[in-house]
Amino acid sequence: MDKSSTRLPLHGVHHTARPTWKLKETVEFYRDKLGLPLVHAISARGWGPADHADFLHFFFDSGNGSTIAFFYYIGTERPEYLATRDDYRYRATHTAWQVQKLEDLDVWRKHLIEAGIPLRYETRHEIIESLYFEDPNGYSVEITCQLRPMTSVDARDAELTMAAAIELESKGAAFANIDAVWRRKGALLEAEIGGRA
Amino acid sequence: MMPAIFVLDVEEFSPIVRDARAMGGVAVSGPHAGYFRISSDKELSFNRKSLGFKPAVWYGALTGGMVGRIEEFSRDTLRIVGDAP
Repeated sequence: MDKSSTRLPLHGVHHTARPTWKLKETVEFYRDKLGLPLVHAISARGWGPADHADFLHFFFDSGNGSTIAFFYYIGTERPEYLATRDDYRYRATHTAWQVQKLEDLDVWRKHLIEAGIPLRYETRHEIIESLYFEDPNGYSVEITCQLRPMTSVDARDAELTMAAAIELESKGAAFANIDAVWRRKGALLEAEIGGRA
Repeated sequence: MMPAIFVLDVEEFSPIVRDARAMGGVAVSGPHAGYFRISSDKELSFNRKSLGFKPAVWYGALTGGMVGRIEEFSRDTLRIVGDAP
């Protein structure tokens, strides 16, 4: 399939949204501690589903046209299935903001320390360097700097990795660890380019 | 069967190719189609500190693919050996 001719029009992230049951702390954290301007707030009667609570839906500017948004459902309590958990699978749902240069990560690190926001972790991944912290809701926030552009080499490698993993996924028990993906990918590449070694 | 790994031809994995080229009994070819192929007549062994890898890159160092199996993948040592014939 010619992906270039079938690609639908998108222009980056407008907003992501998560629920909060901590109105004051959330506003103070994003607006005052992180310095993201509060740029829009909806306050409305519940509508749509009959049991939908009245709500606030508010947005903070996270740069380059993007925002991070929250819902506050008036008179409700947080359901147990949304309880914050100290678990990497819970933190898998996170927001990653981009900075344009490594010096900007230094600026953020210094700012977080001065604002008394605990830095949970920082590391260099393959093509990004990131620092991580949490908001008052326990939501994970990442600030990241991409170190190089993603190229066609990366894209082709990604296709190969995912093809190998998807093939294994359908086999169930054979997909017990990442080694299986590496071996399947190695076999595919060995067939393609091994003979040229 | 000789162990081999494929290393994507990108900056962050280049220390693997650099270290492999300095090893005796290790062959480095490519890049072909975006990958270096590194093989050994015995085993392939890498040291995290020598590569200068942080854990996030170290534990993904074989993402290009491998022929053989991992004999050891600890905090600082990675050894790949060939599959039994």
